[in-house]
Amino acid sequence: MQLRSILSAAAITLVTLGMAQSECSEYWKSAPRSGDSRFTVNGQSRGASIQVGVPTELNVIIYKGQDYRVSFVYDEKIIGDHVIARIIEKVRQPKPVKDAHGQADQGKPVFEDNTKVIWDNQDHEMTDAVEFTATSTKRIAIEVTAPGIPEDPKSKNSGKKMTDIGCLGILIEHMPTPAIGF
Amino acid sequence: MMQPRYVLIALVATLCSCGSPANKDESKPDTLVIGGDDASDLTENLYQMPTPNELFQIVKTMSGEGQKRMMSPAKNVDRYATMQKKALNFGVYATDLVYASNYKVTSEVVRYYLTCKKLGDDLGLGGAFSDTDFSRLERNLTHGDSLDVISNDAYERAYRRMQDDRMGPTLALVLAGGWMESMHLVTRQVLHFDAADPLVMRVAEQKTSLDHLIDLMEQYKNDPGVAGTRNDLIQLRDIYDTFPVIRSQHQGASPSGRQILGDDVTVIITPEGFNDLVDTLETMRENIIKPEDSVDTQPNS
Repeated sequence: MQLRSILSAAAITLVTLGMAQSECSEYWKSAPRSGDSRFTVNGQSRGASIQVGVPTELNVIIYKGQDYRVSFVYDEKIIGDHVIARIIEKVRQPKPVKDAHGQADQGKPVFEDNTKVIWDNQDHEMTDAVEFTATSTKRIAIEVTAPGIPEDPKSKNSGKKMTDIGCLGILIEHMPTPAIGF
Repeated sequence: MMQPRYVLIALVATLCSCGSPANKDESKPDTLVIGGDDASDLTENLYQMPTPNELFQIVKTMSGEGQKRMMSPAKNVDRYATMQKKALNFGVYATDLVYASNYKVTSEVVRYYLTCKKLGDDLGLGGAFSDTDFSRLERNLTHGDSLDVISNDAYERAYRRMQDDRMGPTLALVLAGGWMESMHLVTRQVLHFDAADPLVMRVAEQKTSLDHLIDLMEQYKNDPGVAGTRNDLIQLRDIYDTFPVIRSQHQGASPSGRQILGDDVTVIITPEGFNDLVDTLETMRENIIKPEDSVDTQPNS
């Protein structure tokens, strides 16, 4: 009997985990599209299950000469009524290396990845979408953190722990940078 | 009949194996790890690569006509035996399909669709290249604009299927094969080197997508099927690393009026650097498309 209970619990967990992943993978499709019909959906759009408080990075490539729109959609019942989002540029750069005498090493250069925050929605009223022009091809990480929701006193008293994993969708749209005016 | 104890062990083992996302560092916990005091110290990293369609749409206006002879010979599809070669060449053929669709090499679109379907089935991606889409493709052969949409949809379906089914190492190889083929197809359009040629500049800035791809593959660097290909890509990156990169603040507004994020980045490429890159790339690509039962391949006639 006990074994049967363990097996049932394990099977339910297995199914739940699988469902959570597959349910979230297409979550980006539910994000509202841009009102500008020239934008087309970018293949790097992605949905995933994320944990409250744990930053999730979606690493993508943006191409020079394209305009992009990045927007977020999420399960507000778990994630909260907003997300904290940043766009971080990743750059591979030579790292200064010194030899034993403190002089610049003339051998093969060593490279490292440096990061630079180039947009933060905390500076833009926690907006759920950003549009920009890519003037260079770049490697960017779209970093999203879910704040979660305040714990319900009723569930606190009942001893039930609130779930802290919900779906996030990141919709990326793009178009060749259009010129305005005549 | 199987002992209940073994059933339990098997189930627990299955549970554990399901928690190994394709795109994660082995030392980090899963996407679905619940709680833990140190959870907030972790960042979950997900990677996406642009579809070849994006690059081809950008460079199409800068390059000449599409050429069948530059594509990997479709007739070799049955001559890849190992999963590693199948995955790499699935990436190659899928890129060729998108190329043929974009550049209106109409006669080859159906052939490469069937080639991708065959290799896709071998890799367990049945359904990504469906009979329904094949019929759509045949009906739309005279409407070039629809071909790239249908081909790209199929490519994306296969890509997402590999992500959903957590086929990480396979996906890494498919992307590597696709990146090599995209670069081959673009660099072959450069007939005379000119550093100011927009097409050459596009080749130079692919340093960025290569860095990204190598990062993506980092988590599989110990996978014997992936390690060799990753090392090849690192060899190409070593060449790219010799090209100076200039960063400067963007001057003026965007033509569209949208904000500009970050600095302008220019990768400087020399004729010697370009030739070194192309020669190394071509040698690696030849090695990828070489059938496993022979030494030589003949280009498409």
